[in-house]
Amino acid sequence: MKHVSNMTDLFERLNELKVVFRYSEKLIPIIQNLMDFMKETVPLLENINSSLIESTSKIPKASDQLNNISSATELATTEILDIVDSISIDMERIEKSVKDVKSKEEEKLEIWQKIKTILGSEPSSAELVQKYEALNNFLPIVPGMLDAFQKVKNDVYNITLSLQVQDITTQQLAAVNHLIESVRSSLSSLMMHLDDSEIKSFDGFYKDMPVVGTFDPNAEYTKSTERQDAADVLINDRNSKTTQDEIDKLFS
Amino acid sequence: MSLKFLVVDDSVTMRRIVINSLRNLGFDSFVEAGDGKEAMDKLQADQTINFVITDWNMPNVSGLELVRSIRGSESLSKLSILMVTTRGVKEDIIEALNAKVNNYIVKPFTPQILKEKIDQIINAG
Repeated sequence: MKHVSNMTDLFERLNELKVVFRYSEKLIPIIQNLMDFMKETVPLLENINSSLIESTSKIPKASDQLNNISSATELATTEILDIVDSISIDMERIEKSVKDVKSKEEEKLEIWQKIKTILGSEPSSAELVQKYEALNNFLPIVPGMLDAFQKVKNDVYNITLSLQVQDITTQQLAAVNHLIESVRSSLSSLMMHLDDSEIKSFDGFYKDMPVVGTFDPNAEYTKSTERQDAADVLINDRNSKTTQDEIDKLFS
Repeated sequence: MSLKFLVVDDSVTMRRIVINSLRNLGFDSFVEAGDGKEAMDKLQADQTINFVITDWNMPNVSGLELVRSIRGSESLSKLSILMVTTRGVKEDIIEALNAKVNNYIVKPFTPQILKEKIDQIINAG
């Protein structure tokens, strides 16, 4: 009886072993597939890693380039403002000279009227008087000249006002620089997980990075008066009560 | 009343534009500062300044902090302050008004707006 029991036990164990083998038979191709997948994936991950290293190391250069753009536009704007100031000073000087000449011409005209009265009785001088008056036609063109000076001065001033774009674009570039920095920071931390190494050669990267609070990410160069109008409602609201709905509508 | 302006902006370009505009409006007395800290130093050194035109976003000490420092100072609290900034969001304007700016201009500004705001401040004073 004991032999029979042992044999039954053995068969049971063999059956269990058979089940394990059958299961393994099914599992081996899956493991094989997994191995193949790993073989393909590892180089891919290595590629991603090296791409990340390359991209991340380029970010300081991109950031530098943005800073260079800001510096270059500031320099160019300063040069334009210098020229505009110089034109304005010249215009003022020319305008003053024209006004001085006009004043002298008016004096001359008064004297000329007196001379003409004296010469009026002399018939031989009539032709000369006529010729002289034809040559002395400066005064009638003075108002036109002064208007033209005013127009040039206004145009020059409008150029100055348009240069506000430099301050606004500088703030927009600073905001982009911060976005780039946040991407770099995320990539760097991702790489630390992948490669256990941090990006090197970032010395000085933060040196020229605009500090938060020194720029407005929503800065906008627009001729529209909408934002000023909306601000005015809030300012006026200090004295006369505007409804919250009206204010919200203006800022929506 | 003769006005002496302190123009505060970290952008040299903007300071020149504001000063050119003030000159066009007939004013001729200006002092400049590149941030709120420099502005406070200049205000404490020159008691004849009676009108501050300030940007908001600046390094070291911002325009808003400058406004709060001025309003918190016994000797400077009565100064007229006009904020000229790119910040046009409602919450920002309310914050500036709560800090007690006299008026507020959203950049880019026009000479008409600048004149209008200066006149409003002068007339209210």
